[in-house]
Amino acid sequence: MTKTYAVLAAFLLTIFVLVPVTISATGRWDLYYTLTSVALLSIGAAGVWLTFYIGRINIGQGAYALMGGYVSAVLMTQAGFSFWATLPLAGIFCAAISVLIGLPILRLRGVYFAMITLVLTEVTRLTALALSITNGAKGITSIPLPGELSIFGLTLIPDFSTMDSPKPAFYLLAVTLMVLTYLVLWRIVNSRLGHLCRSLQQNEELSASIGVNTAYLRVLAYAISSFFGGLAGAVFVAISQSIYPSSFAVTDSVNFMLYCFVGGLGYVGGPILGTFLLYFGWDLLSAAKEYQLLIYSSAMIALMLVLPNGVLSLFDRKGRRK
Amino acid sequence: MEQILANGLYLGAQYALIALGLTLIFSLMNVLNFAHGQMYVFGGFVTYTVVAQWGLPFVLGLIASAIILAVMGALIEVFLFRPVIRKSKRDESTMLLAAGIAFFLDAVILLLFGEKQRGVPKIVNGVFNWDMRIIMPYDRILILALAIAMIAGFIALMQYTKAGRAMRALAQDRVAAQLMGVDVDRYSMIGFALGAMLAGLVGGLLVTITGINLGMGGPTSIKAFMMIMIGGAGVISGAIAGGFILGMMESVGLTLLAAYGDITYLVIFASLMVFLAFRPQGLMGKPWG
Amino acid sequence: MNRRTILKTTALATVASFVLSGAVFADNPVLKIGFVGVTSGPAAAWGTSNQRSMETRAAWINETGGYDIGGTKYDVEIVSFDDQKDPKRAIAGMEQMAQAGIHYVVGPNVDDGAAAVRPVAEQNGIIYFPYAFPKELYTAPASNAVLGMVANYQSGPAIYKYLMDNNGVKKVAFVAANESDPLSQRDSGSAAAKALGLEVVSDSVTYQVDTTDFTPVLLPVIQSAPDLLVLSGVSPANAPQLIRSARELGYTGLISTETAQDAAVLQEGAGELANGFISVGGASTPELASDAMVEFVDRYTKMFGEYNDESNTKVYALEYILATMAANPAAIDNVEEFKTTMDTFEAPNPYMKGDAKLKYVGMTSFGQKRQLSVPLVVNTYNNGAFETLFVAQVD
Repeated sequence: MTKTYAVLAAFLLTIFVLVPVTISATGRWDLYYTLTSVALLSIGAAGVWLTFYIGRINIGQGAYALMGGYVSAVLMTQAGFSFWATLPLAGIFCAAISVLIGLPILRLRGVYFAMITLVLTEVTRLTALALSITNGAKGITSIPLPGELSIFGLTLIPDFSTMDSPKPAFYLLAVTLMVLTYLVLWRIVNSRLGHLCRSLQQNEELSASIGVNTAYLRVLAYAISSFFGGLAGAVFVAISQSIYPSSFAVTDSVNFMLYCFVGGLGYVGGPILGTFLLYFGWDLLSAAKEYQLLIYSSAMIALMLVLPNGVLSLFDRKGRRK
Repeated sequence: MEQILANGLYLGAQYALIALGLTLIFSLMNVLNFAHGQMYVFGGFVTYTVVAQWGLPFVLGLIASAIILAVMGALIEVFLFRPVIRKSKRDESTMLLAAGIAFFLDAVILLLFGEKQRGVPKIVNGVFNWDMRIIMPYDRILILALAIAMIAGFIALMQYTKAGRAMRALAQDRVAAQLMGVDVDRYSMIGFALGAMLAGLVGGLLVTITGINLGMGGPTSIKAFMMIMIGGAGVISGAIAGGFILGMMESVGLTLLAAYGDITYLVIFASLMVFLAFRPQGLMGKPWG
Repeated sequence: MNRRTILKTTALATVASFVLSGAVFADNPVLKIGFVGVTSGPAAAWGTSNQRSMETRAAWINETGGYDIGGTKYDVEIVSFDDQKDPKRAIAGMEQMAQAGIHYVVGPNVDDGAAAVRPVAEQNGIIYFPYAFPKELYTAPASNAVLGMVANYQSGPAIYKYLMDNNGVKKVAFVAANESDPLSQRDSGSAAAKALGLEVVSDSVTYQVDTTDFTPVLLPVIQSAPDLLVLSGVSPANAPQLIRSARELGYTGLISTETAQDAAVLQEGAGELANGFISVGGASTPELASDAMVEFVDRYTKMFGEYNDESNTKVYALEYILATMAANPAAIDNVEEFKTTMDTFEAPNPYMKGDAKLKYVGMTSFGQKRQLSVPLVVNTYNNGAFETLFVAQVD
């Protein structure tokens, strides 16, 4: 257990201290955005991971990221909300919608659930195109940067637009949210709820027969998952200061799933590692020009052949947890 | 009205053929082949190369597509899916592999065939016009006939040949089939090759009408997923039914809902979700796929 | 397939020899120009023709000793980033450009990407040249984006007016894919047509980009009996299929679009059914193309195996960037200087016969000069090639 804490402390030290120091020392300012993306995408992937945990393959996280983004954008531009207020609201909105959608579709299993969530992303995109509150095809642009967050006159977070560059601020925001997300995830997995979820993953009928309220558990896990999706979407909108129906597409949903697979489905930290590897891998390969996609996909296939249970299974000598 | 039905029938036949290959692979190996659409595109480009660039007859193009895709499917099964399925703790890991293969094929197609839209000149000229009630170009009628013939041929193959019986047994119960002396490895390979071949054949057929381009792979896979969800995953008759139903829905929906703007597909997708909420296994599927 | 492999190898060899010859002979300083756009995956066609135009022009410049800016000869290097049509990636691409010290970037290719990179471009002092039409990108307070082509709300009215006067068009119908860019273009096109006094008989029909059969899509449109069918924002992949379906349904009126198309694609996909199809293109038709344009097409074909007519409009962005720098060498790493120069810049257009000019325009549409003046060449397709219908200018 002490080893786990040591790893955790080292991880926190790296992302909060070492990364900013290294960036300002080397002048690689572009890394901020890349790492911010990794952090945000891994928040979304955390949600997908949680749905895996109850035995469902979720290829619809892009839908909730898009919804969260739109909630934040609409509230900021049309109702004058502060970004900081829209952030939890985006998550809660997504969680509420996911309860409505989840009640019927969570009865599906296996590939059926996977495929219907894939369709869900497309449904969300088309809805965003058709509605007028989302401004349809024209999207919402010129969204302001996050303003000041203060309690009783005490400034907790300064106005982003007054900074020289909002990049480090977005980075810190994203990694903080990421750490919080994974703490929640960790807590869930190691609680009674987590044990119940695992029982669902292994045999749903059996756990129902011993009195586990499976329907409630499924919806709860899915709602938490969607909350994370909405959160990630809202922060992305703040960075790009714009949102379009295509801001999160089916590709994103598939990517969220891949991040989980690559990292390893048996490990809470898996999605972070998976996101980091796949996202950075693509960026590094941009030197390969037209062969970029070829090398990227070959590496993915090779990885699957060598480590079909995810990269983290490398450390999995005794099969710590399934 | 006749026109709407004719359009639906034509769309349905091509969709059903796409869905058949996907559902076959799924029923045999429990693999959701994300790369199915890319295989379809690849088949289209092979036919294009043979027919439009080398100037050979269309039939040869189709045969080339079928052979190349069948070989590709067999290789993918033996060298990629088989080892991963053996080593992996969960069935779902194959999804990452399938997605990787889809990306890989996308990259290969871009490098080999370029980024442009490609098409083969019409193979038959002329338009069938029944009193302005049904308008259908002859080449579409030909493709429709070919597609239906292929579906019939496929059903016959599954029903009456030894390989077909073996594959049906595998789909029903893998372990039992193995105990009865079915060579599981061999028929998994044949099944995958057959599924990929079907994808390639549809690509080859449609390149004469709709042309082919790099971007059609992913969306085609998603459409095929929808069809097998409607019909029931892993069931041959379900895939055919799903294909025709989706074809009809598009044809009818586009006509009836045209006045309301961009909502046809939204309505199709939404009604699919409602349908699955009531009937999770699709029309003919086994419960819990 | 073999032929393609050979082409690929030759192309690679050519590129390699250019790079090598550049390395051996030139002591020229290198000027980096960025490209952020989509060159892989489903929408690869959008960015590929763009990137290849830039590579072709850069190789040409380097081969002939570099580009003269303020008395110094520069070799041009194109730094490309594939954003996979994902606005989130596009931001990363722009960040990478900023990191490499690049101040002038061509792209992104679509609305959402162009809007997403705006904050990064403005924070890092990058001028970018999107191929996307939303007006808010180019009107104040935005000032770092320069529209790289003619927008559909500029070309559309010109085409409709011409067809009203010359072909007696009265009723017009619009179809568009259900994606952001085409839908926005349909809406502005429909509004422009109404403003001209045309009757819009259908503008609500849309299609999924992956549609394999357009007959059901077009059936209600054709039944509304238009004289002119506008394919708003149609991608080169869908255009031939739409034309073919419309003709096969018995439609005999005019068909037009405001996007650039490729003649070979139309030839293969629709054959003679595409005859008379009106689209917007660059100055590559024999009536207009200068020797430089002919040489460009020739070099492009040699380098990449096959020319793409979409590149006719995409050859300009790099030319403008370099020519503007030549006019004011201080702009080479100072975008404010560049912006000042844009207001007065004028140079001869090397790709067109006659006395056409390169200059920045956009006062009417955006209230500031944030658009490249690209000749608005309206072409009709006829038996495998484009013919010029008329030429106009945007102001």
